[in-house]
Amino acid sequence: MADLQDELQATAEAGRLDAPAKRKPKPSHRFGAAEPVAPPDGTAERGTADAARAPEAAGRLADPEGAEQSDGLEEAHAFLADHPVADGYSGLPWVLRHLPWYDLELGESGVDTDVPRMREGHIGALFWSLHLSEPLTGDRAVGATLEQLDLVHKAVHAHPAGLRLVRTASEVTDAHNCGRVAILLGPAGAPALGDSLAILRALHALGLKALTLAGVSWASEAGLSRFGEEVVREMNRVGVLADLSGAGEQTIRRTLAVSRAPVLCTRSAAHALRPHPANLTDDLLAALGEAHGLCMVPLTAEQTGPSVRDVADHLDHVRSIAGPKSVGLSGTYDSGAAHPEDLTDASCYPHLVAELLHRGWSHDDLALLTWGNVQRVLRSADFTARAARDRREASTARIADLDG
Amino acid sequence: MTGTGSLEEARELLREFPVADGHNDLPWALRQQVRYDLGARDIATDQSAHLHTDLARLHAGGVGAQFWSVYVPSDSAFLPGAVPATLEQIDCVRQLIDRYPSRLRSALTAADMEAARAEGRIASLMGAEGGHSIDNSLATLRALYALGVRYMTLTHNDNIAWADSATDEPAVGGLSAFGRAVVREMNREGMLVDLSHVAATTMRDALDASAAPVIFSHSSSRAVCDHPRNIPDDVLERLPANGGVAMVTFVPKFVLQAAVDWTAAADENMRAHGLHHLDTTPEAMRVHREFEERNPRPVATVATVADHLDHMREVAGVDHLGIGGDYDGTAFTPDGLNDVSGYPNLIAELLDRGWSRTDLAKLTWRNAVRVLGAAEDVARDLKSRTGPSNATLEQLDG
Repeated sequence: MADLQDELQATAEAGRLDAPAKRKPKPSHRFGAAEPVAPPDGTAERGTADAARAPEAAGRLADPEGAEQSDGLEEAHAFLADHPVADGYSGLPWVLRHLPWYDLELGESGVDTDVPRMREGHIGALFWSLHLSEPLTGDRAVGATLEQLDLVHKAVHAHPAGLRLVRTASEVTDAHNCGRVAILLGPAGAPALGDSLAILRALHALGLKALTLAGVSWASEAGLSRFGEEVVREMNRVGVLADLSGAGEQTIRRTLAVSRAPVLCTRSAAHALRPHPANLTDDLLAALGEAHGLCMVPLTAEQTGPSVRDVADHLDHVRSIAGPKSVGLSGTYDSGAAHPEDLTDASCYPHLVAELLHRGWSHDDLALLTWGNVQRVLRSADFTARAARDRREASTARIADLDG
Repeated sequence: MTGTGSLEEARELLREFPVADGHNDLPWALRQQVRYDLGARDIATDQSAHLHTDLARLHAGGVGAQFWSVYVPSDSAFLPGAVPATLEQIDCVRQLIDRYPSRLRSALTAADMEAARAEGRIASLMGAEGGHSIDNSLATLRALYALGVRYMTLTHNDNIAWADSATDEPAVGGLSAFGRAVVREMNREGMLVDLSHVAATTMRDALDASAAPVIFSHSSSRAVCDHPRNIPDDVLERLPANGGVAMVTFVPKFVLQAAVDWTAAADENMRAHGLHHLDTTPEAMRVHREFEERNPRPVATVATVADHLDHMREVAGVDHLGIGGDYDGTAFTPDGLNDVSGYPNLIAELLDRGWSRTDLAKLTWRNAVRVLGAAEDVARDLKSRTGPSNATLEQLDG
């Protein structure tokens, strides 16, 4: 049954895609015709657009909630009911580490995520980050990551009616069909491996699905070392996705070349619109699109801007440069970041989707953005792993041998 | 002397009820010898030049289940890396199972062990050898369980913060409060509490604390041979009430009094030359060779091990015995039990001593399967009533 569902999803993905030129021009702006209409995929003028944005946001705030807006939200809810969000990053595990009493059914104002708000936001799948907020290295990072994994298992186990831990694209679909939010484990930080491919395999056995390639000797600003390349090949073999948000440019380029499976950028927006170090330049976005990777735009004020429309601008831009198959969403809730207005917690996705519908995003493109692209990447990674395991034995390479 | 007839009967018996062995250090040997290059020590081929263990000899020995030890050293120099190294050891066992799927089968439950026996494959389980492998973290304990580890020896040769080892100076005086919490969490997960290597005080405390049967994955009788690694009679006497299993080990320096005395003298000789007794430098090896030339090493035999089993049966009862050879974890082995192909010799010796087929089936197979199943039952019960604990060493032991 799961596979049948996958096929249905795949068919939708293969459906007609709007070429940028064919996109409908945005009709009247839902917050008032006086506001300037954002060009659908302008790039050069975006760098200077931020300054002009603040008064717009203020103008929108002053607007009373009109009938038009609630119509847009209703349509967004209806769309998301069929095409839920697969969200690329949640910092919840680290928050739970310090709030052991937190109940995901009841929620609390200091935390952005709970099961009711995930349902309200139509989140169907969610990557739970295993990043460690304290800078731990070497052997201590391994133990701390095991503790984070245990905590996630415990939290999911405590909410069997709301959450389900999954490993594959098919299990994501199954969980969604059963009305559960599919929880995917990762990304973890590269230090979690303790420089050992055996530990990569052990973490994968515990459910790890994504690893951020930064912050270690073998994946640094200098790029991937020989051992780093072997790590990527072994990740392909076992089915752990490479996350390149925050990785050095050389590491990104080398990983795109080495990896047989598509990569993720779990928290990257457009550098052309906002020069944040984790945002991707147009050059890299184009390379990512060619490699069928996925740029998951974070809903953070720091990386995308203070309003829903800033986020939509980034999504427009990434779609136009990397392509509609390479753009995704990353709530980045509970990570300590400030969020744009109207996108302050996990329940807010309908606001963003309403804005994109308003901008004329086709349902096909939107379905890829919210759900289809993540499904494709997960499925590719599963497929690559199955194929690689027949060809390659588990790697016993050691960092001391390869990197001296 | 064992007759050919007994040996034939032993082999036939083992075909039906194979050996479920409690402790084999093949993973550590593979790490030390070839850094886990499984192709360089292909156990589908004859490895008798390098290892006690390969698939053909396991088959010849009638082995049907093996707890592979995911041991890592417990000395302070190694400690910061204990958790990562334990994960590497676990990966090694998983790779072995993946590599030889027609001969090995992953086993996580008693039912898996029986399924493996029915298929003629070796049920492959994992045991962690020392509480240092969890670095004082109950979350890490649960991670090891999730990765397939089904017993943990509470200590190795060195004390840890929450439990005393048999071969270290008493410090805690048994199990600390956190140590008892570790035992309860193991009960809750369904991980067997292994009391080999621990001090007698720790054995008694663990028997008090554990809601599930315990095991001794590789220990013999202290009444037969007075060595701290062996089990005192007062502890063996508690096994019927607890339901646990003591798995006799073959290591000569634990089972033969003459070998115990000889080892003590050899160690003393090393120290007299200003060397550490485990030193393996050329100079140390020369000193040791000279000692061995003057003092021939006493040799244990199959009968030595059978003497232990006879006594342990007297004290604990036949429902509480098993076998834990410690192959590839010991330099010397008894005559007739030189490698994993030797188990039929032990069974033949016991047949000659009048052990019944029913008793032998318990010794080789049934008791081990029962004890794992019992741990699962206790875990199911505890999980229905209690959540996972996140108690810390600091909270409980100050």
